[in-house]
Amino acid sequence: MMREKRWFPILYMFLATAFFSSVVIGFTNVTRRRVEANAALAFEKAVVAVFPQLHEPGLSALEVHRRFTEQVTEPNPTSAGAYTFQENGQVAGYALPVAGQGFWAPIKGIIGIAADRKTVTGIAIYEQNETPGLGGEIAQPPFQQQFKGKTLASGDKLLAFRRPGEDLSQNEVHAVTGATQTSVRFEGIINEALKTWQVKLGKEGATQ
Amino acid sequence: MNGTGGQPDTKSIAVEGLWRNNPIFKQVLGICSTLAVTNLVLNTAVMCVALIFTLSLSSATVSLLRTLTPRNIRMMVETLIIAFYVIIVDILLKAYWPEMSTNLGPYVGLIITNCIVMGRAEACGTSNPPGVAALDGCFNALGYTFILLIVATFREILGMGTFMGYAVPFFGSPAWDKWIIMVMPPGAFFMLAIVVWVFRSIQMAREEKTE
Repeated sequence: MMREKRWFPILYMFLATAFFSSVVIGFTNVTRRRVEANAALAFEKAVVAVFPQLHEPGLSALEVHRRFTEQVTEPNPTSAGAYTFQENGQVAGYALPVAGQGFWAPIKGIIGIAADRKTVTGIAIYEQNETPGLGGEIAQPPFQQQFKGKTLASGDKLLAFRRPGEDLSQNEVHAVTGATQTSVRFEGIINEALKTWQVKLGKEGATQ
Repeated sequence: MNGTGGQPDTKSIAVEGLWRNNPIFKQVLGICSTLAVTNLVLNTAVMCVALIFTLSLSSATVSLLRTLTPRNIRMMVETLIIAFYVIIVDILLKAYWPEMSTNLGPYVGLIITNCIVMGRAEACGTSNPPGVAALDGCFNALGYTFILLIVATFREILGMGTFMGYAVPFFGSPAWDKWIIMVMPPGAFFMLAIVVWVFRSIQMAREEKTE
């Protein structure tokens, strides 16, 4: 009997793995374009969401894609890596991509900044895997709406997170309850990106 | 399965999975996901559907291969089969419901390690024909589902004042001071303990009556 041979389990495991893996690979290939389109759309949605001029609640996926492709300008040297929204040839707002390590997985998002380069117009997150209900709250409206209208400070922390319940000044928002790690990391990610951006902008401004 | 030998009928499989041997309050399996995904009813429901799918099909597949699989590597094969179905669910969510996929985050993938799935594959899949194994998997998953939905309903209403995202009368109004702790991890422990206690009490009371 072949089943009693010592190599049979190895062969069996090999064949089983090969079979199930092939099916999964095939399935991944079939859905790849959809998954990639979803990821691209999530990004576009985040960019559109931080431009008050473009954002409307309940936009369809197609409309988001249309607004992104038609009205958002790709990053160029003068925007220092930020996407821009332009009105009459003038920059009317910046959307700066930020990314970094969260508590469980990378957090990727967009910060919107007005043409004055100081006022925050919004924040959106398009990729995160923080604990649902805790760190995951950074992707929810109650947390994100706090950012609208805040002003970047000039100091160590451009935007600072405070403990929930504490009084806030113009560059501060409340951290997420029960998610200290996520909050601290996200605060770091935002500040890091904003500082780098400001430095780059400053250089560009000087050379012009 | 029930140790009586022969083909167990659908009704007894259903009673076993949903009630007498309920995976949550009797076997106390799969508690990790019970605690993790029950703060919002919608997330819980999707998670449960994913589990019903995985559990039924993986049990059936394990059963199909049961005469072929060498005993000494059966656990590896079972894990492989379970992982296969879970990845399929994960891909489906990513492709067709990306928002839910991000909401559930790592938990869909963690169904692979959900003890119920492995437990049913071992206990039922390895010794019963595919039809029985699939039914057993399905009813165990449904037993898991109804307990999770009870836990999630209480957690979401008490903690957020909503049900499936919609505001609930009274609990959604300012009159109700939201019990934030209910949607945080400790709330899951409280709710689960209460639910297990209540259901076990009912079960014990019924058993005493029949004796």
